Amino acid sequence: MILASSEPFVFALFEYSFLRYALLTGIIMGFITPLIGSFVVIRRLSFIADTLSHFSLAGLSIGLFLINIIGFTFISDPLYLAMIFSVIGALFIEILRGYYQNYKEISMPIVMSLGTALSALFISLSGGFNSSIYNYLFGSILTVGNDYLLIITITSVIVIALIIIYYKEMVIISFDETYARLLGIKIKRFQLVSTLILGMVVSLSIATVGVLLVSSLMIIPVAAAMKVGKSFKNTVGIAILFSEVSVIGGLWLSYELDIASGATIVLINLLILVIVGVIKKFFIRKRVRNIQTDIVEL
Amino acid sequence: MRVTVTNLTFGYDYRTVLKDISFKLNSGDFLAIVGNNGSGKSTLIKCILGINKIPPKRIMLDDIDITEFKNFKNIGYVPQKFDDFNYEFPITVNEILQASRFNKITEDKKLELLDKIGILELQNENINELSGGEMQRVFIVRSLMNNPKLLILDEPTAGVDKKSVEGFYKTVNELNKEGITIMLITHNFNESQANYTHILSIHNGEGIIKEVNRGDEQ
Repeated sequence: MILASSEPFVFALFEYSFLRYALLTGIIMGFITPLIGSFVVIRRLSFIADTLSHFSLAGLSIGLFLINIIGFTFISDPLYLAMIFSVIGALFIEILRGYYQNYKEISMPIVMSLGTALSALFISLSGGFNSSIYNYLFGSILTVGNDYLLIITITSVIVIALIIIYYKEMVIISFDETYARLLGIKIKRFQLVSTLILGMVVSLSIATVGVLLVSSLMIIPVAAAMKVGKSFKNTVGIAILFSEVSVIGGLWLSYELDIASGATIVLINLLILVIVGVIKKFFIRKRVRNIQTDIVEL
Repeated sequence: MRVTVTNLTFGYDYRTVLKDISFKLNSGDFLAIVGNNGSGKSTLIKCILGINKIPPKRIMLDDIDITEFKNFKNIGYVPQKFDDFNYEFPITVNEILQASRFNKITEDKKLELLDKIGILELQNENINELSGGEMQRVFIVRSLMNNPKLLILDEPTAGVDKKSVEGFYKTVNELNKEGITIMLITHNFNESQANYTHILSIHNGEGIIKEVNRGDEQ
């Protein structure tokens, strides 16, 4: 993904179509990941994104093995196999969650272990680490083509439509599963569909930030927005804003400094989290001090 | 809503919690359920809410067997504790109520309920900034969002201040007058100002139902 930056990012955007694809992909993913991430955070399932991204790495590794070593030609891009594996991983998680009713979180380390073991196996069979694996681990957004952009767009439209249609049900299930059950909402069906959607979004995020940093793109903007959000919709909106700032800023830095987009995007995300935390802490302290002064004066 | 419980026996594993409970409520009846901790009051409620799975022909709601009953949106429920609610993520009172509203009560009716329960000014507040009593009142309003025909309240006024308790019972009595069947688990039986029609005393899983005249001193 490294590109020698001979001209400023803005000018290069007009010149190179792959840069425009990268920016568009980034903007779409910057919108969709915190949107999904908000529901993931509320349900305390942050670890699930990590699990699915590691499982999709198995798909990537098998894809690279099939293309580079066996010489299969029917798979043009291992990212497609990553998507399939992410969905399979999501199904495994749901099956295991049903199997271990009282220890549902056990499903995640089991699926993650399987994904990591398969990845290690097929990376070894493919001759160890190479630049392709590196790109998938840490982000290779500049290699995104228009077919991939089309898949991301279609998936995002479906995800947004589902959230709009089932907004009430999603909010109730996320905040109060017991009450949702009392209202007769089919929890298991919703859980399965949302985990499958999460699997798709996780695998599509790989190109933007890489397998190892996917959960950061989904969780960190939400974590920062939670500190300052006044309502649910307001918090999700702020999370999307933080996410877009980090994606666009991260892409620009990635181009200018010739470093992996995953690193720059996630580091900007973390910087925003720290700044928001410091401002919030300072603001609260100041407010508490003012209230205490008022009480003393009374 | 009519509620008919016939010879209901229920237990967890090898422990029998409810033994041969029977009672019948017509639409507009008001049942108080009293008993010590662990006597089986909440277990009975969970059977009526369909959470505890029971054999057919034990509970009928509007003459429909609970095992086939689908329209749980017609039942309002306020639990004793709110441990299942994820408080830490920002969400306003209004957003919770909107998301819980499926049978489309009007906006005016919603505001009227908020006013009656005494939390009208809190509607745009973040839920994680409310006190325990305020939160309790939010969930009472939430239970009324779908025009329930049966309202089940599990010690709903625990931790709520005296003035709000008065407002709460006034509202519940009004709802009852409108024909809503009410089932109320209560510990402060003598303090409550509710207009009961029936009292179910549960002791060691066995229930005794008593009919009372409205307005009688409890």
